Formats: sequence, structure tokens, C-alpha cells
Amino acid sequence: MYNLLQQIASGIAMGGIYACVGLALVMIYQSTHHINFAQGEMAMFSTFIAFLCLKAGLPYWAAFLVTLAGGFLLGMLIERVVLRPLKDAPEMSVIVVFIGLFVGINSLAGWIFGHQLETFPSPFPEKGPFGTKLISGHELGTIVVALVVVSLLYAFLRFTRVGLAMRAAAENAVSSRLSGVPVSRMLALGWGLSAMIGSIAGLMVAPVVFLDPNMMAGVLIYAFAAALLGGIDNPWGAVAGGLIVGVVENLAGAYVVGTELKLSVALVVIVGVLLVRPSGLFGRKLVARV
Amino acid sequence: MTQPLLKVKNLEGFYGSTRVLQGIEFAVGEGGITTILGANGAGKTTTLRAISALIRTRGEIWFEGRRIDGLSTEKIAALGIAHVPDGRGTLVNLTVEENLRVGAHLRRDRARAEQDFERMYAYFPRLRERRAQQAGTLSGGEQQMLAISRALMLRPRLLLLDEPSFGLAPLIIREIFEIMRRINREEKVSILLVEQNVARALELADHAYLLETGRTVMSGTSQELRDDEQIRRSYLGF
Repeated sequence: MYNLLQQIASGIAMGGIYACVGLALVMIYQSTHHINFAQGEMAMFSTFIAFLCLKAGLPYWAAFLVTLAGGFLLGMLIERVVLRPLKDAPEMSVIVVFIGLFVGINSLAGWIFGHQLETFPSPFPEKGPFGTKLISGHELGTIVVALVVVSLLYAFLRFTRVGLAMRAAAENAVSSRLSGVPVSRMLALGWGLSAMIGSIAGLMVAPVVFLDPNMMAGVLIYAFAAALLGGIDNPWGAVAGGLIVGVVENLAGAYVVGTELKLSVALVVIVGVLLVRPSGLFGRKLVARV
Repeated sequence: MTQPLLKVKNLEGFYGSTRVLQGIEFAVGEGGITTILGANGAGKTTTLRAISALIRTRGEIWFEGRRIDGLSTEKIAALGIAHVPDGRGTLVNLTVEENLRVGAHLRRDRARAEQDFERMYAYFPRLRERRAQQAGTLSGGEQQMLAISRALMLRPRLLLLDEPSFGLAPLIIREIFEIMRRINREEKVSILLVEQNVARALELADHAYLLETGRTVMSGTSQELRDDEQIRRSYLGF
């Protein structure tokens, strides 16, 4: 029983990470209707920025802020340089470019930072609070960080003028521009924000899986499963999906398929959702007018 | 008429490489209501889209004595041209109030913008009742009211209205046209109206232009066009 609760707790912690990456995927999807396959690699790259900062002797939270800023700029840069010129390109070209970005960023990171596994520190104490063994300090910290990220994002989108403009631009670009909303700036901002959220996920997952250029590959697949499960067009769905996938993956790994086959759980979720309920648990049904 | 608020000279408009406006000319007087009439496909909607820089154009567009062709859509909105597009452009997933807030995106005078919300709700009390509701759940008429209110939140000098009567019941059309007249007078907003409902448009407007296949073929006061034999037969049906 105790073991089960432990597994659930660490599942929730991993779920928080999947939720963050899933949220980043959903944000891009809502404004562009594309899945950013390079989301995980962007997060990995920013985490290396943090690694360099820490190596240079910066305190953790300073490195954290530098990384967030770096991730934000990286996201905006990729939107401006790579995706803006493809604004009217056919779907397939964009997909190929995303795959190119995935491979490109991955190789670039390998070339710059090398392929050895690096240990990455956690800012949280090793032990859980009050000496509990139920949950580790890092797991609890991850959950808190994920909650803070989701709440801040929600508040930003819901209660600020720019957040509202971003939602409007994502929903109807032409109509928003007629009201004076600078849609292309909103798009760049969306990329920046989602890359920033991704880097937070990278910072939280690196202490668990070690830092290396392939660190986010598994996370991205789980996050993709999470976003699909929750409904790719619903940010809350991504969060719920992330937590569900995290817990299910952990339990399945511990009791059903074993750690080796854990990743297949994500694939089962993805295929299952696509077969049974393509709009996800909380997504809008896609109705196309022909 | 003193200097017109909006003046369009030899305007050509393109969809891709196809030229759909063949050099049209018209002007909108300060404080007035001008209407552009024409059959389906004459280029009415395209003309409005050209003014808002939603399509590629050639020719000159002057607004308040300043050339605006070549500016971005957002910039043109910021200069004071609000555009209620065909299909109303409702942001269906946002609430009614959020739609109005998007309309007020460019406003820096927060306090007066807040008063404007109230004024819009006074024009259209039904929007007040539904302020927290998702805009996509509104009826067509209510969405048209919302679109007009959202455009007015910009505090425009000129309001471009694209077929406000489209798909609406006669009673609602009458209500909306009456309010447009009030808005024109009370808000000191000049209006450029594109309408298929020729009789109603001529009743509301002081000046009218007739488009045929992307060209201005006739212009004059509404009275003049109403009295024209050919217009009467082709567009008014009596």
C-alpha cells in the first residue's frame, strides 16, 4: 500500500513535467495548428544553458532565471527565423521543418555540449518534508513548480490585456488584427512563452534522468500523449492529461510492464485516444465545414 | 462637402494575382453615411478589405489627409478605422465582455474605455444580459450587435460595416439600422456601409456608390440613386 502511494506520488511529479511540456505543445498548437516536435529539444537546449551557468558558479535560482530568459528568446528566435517564412507553406513542409528542428537542435547540442551524461542538481532538499519517505523533496518541488507555472499561465491568459490579445489572435487572426491586435507579435510571444515553460520542464526533469542531448525524447512522447489525452486544444486538458499519464506510466512501470517497456504506455495512450476519442477527454470535437 | 474623411483613388485590389478591383474611386464625407451598393461579386466586400489592408492593393487610399495604403491592418485600426467584417468576426470562444475588451485593445484611456462598455450595453441591452456568456452561443443578430460594439470600442472616426443585415430577421435588421443611425449621430462616427439590401441602405445613407465587376459605375446622393430609373429596376425592383 505504502509502495503504491509512493508510486502515485512520483507519478504525479513526473506528470507535472509532462503537463508543462504538454501545455507548451498546446499553446503552439492553438495558435498555429501544428505540433512542435522540437519542443523537447528546445527545452533540453535551455537546460544546457542552465548547466553552463551553474558551472560558471551562478547560484541555482539565478541560473534558473537566466535559463527561462534564454528559453524565451530561443522560442521567439525560432518563430521569427524558421517558422515566420513558412507562414503560408503547406502542412507537410511545416512538419518536415519541425522534424528538421528536432534533429538539428539535438545534433547542435551534442556538438556543443557533448554526449556524456551530466548530473544536474535539484534546488530542492533530498528528503521529503517531515522526513517522509512517501515523496522526495525533488518530487514535491516539481509538483509545486508545475502548479505555479500552470496558475501563472492561467492568470496571464485570463486576466491581462496581452493574455487576452494572445487568445484572440490564436482564435481569429484577421478579426483580431482589425481590432488592432499585433498578431505576429502575439505569435512570437506565444512561442517564447511555450519555450520558457518547456525549459522549466527541462530543469525539473534533468535531475531525474541526467542531462544529455537525448534527455527529452521520452518526456516529449509522454507529453504528446498527455496533450492528446486531454484534448490538444485545451490547456487544462494538457494539465489533466499530464497528471494522468504520469501516474499511469509509473504504476504500469512498477506493477504491469516493468521499466523497460514503460514508454510503450505512452504509445498505447496515443493510439487509444486516436482510435476511441480523437478529440481527447476535454477537447472540442473537430467539426469541419466542407 | 469639405475635405472627405476617406478618399480612394484608382484603387485596384488583388486576390493572389487576380485583379478583382479595377480602379475604383469614391470618397466618404466627414460625419456622413456612405454606402457601396452592387450585386454579388461586384467587389463590395473586397473594397472594405482593401481599405483595411487585408488584401494586396495598388492605388491610393487617403484617410484624414494622410495616405494609408501600404500600412498594416493593425496600424490602420490604430488610426481610427474600425472594420466589422463579413461573417462578423466573432471571437466565439471568448465571452461577450472579452470580445469588447479585445476591441478596446488599443485604448490607453482606461477609465473612458470602461465608460464605453456601459455605453455599448446601453445601445444593445441584450449584450449586457449575456456579457459573461461565450460569444459563440449568441444568435446571429446578437453577434452582429457584438461586432458593431467591438468595433466602436476602438473609438473610430470611420466605421466600415460589411453587410450588417446578412442572414438576419427583418425586425432585427430594422433595430440594427436604427442604432447605426444613432451611432452615426451620437458618436460622430462616419460610416461606410456595404449592403445587399439596397432599399434599406439608401434609406440610411446620404451618399451612395454603385459597383459593377470591380468598377464604380454610378455615384450620387442617395436620393439621386433612388430616383434613377436603372437602379430602381435592377436593384430596388419596382
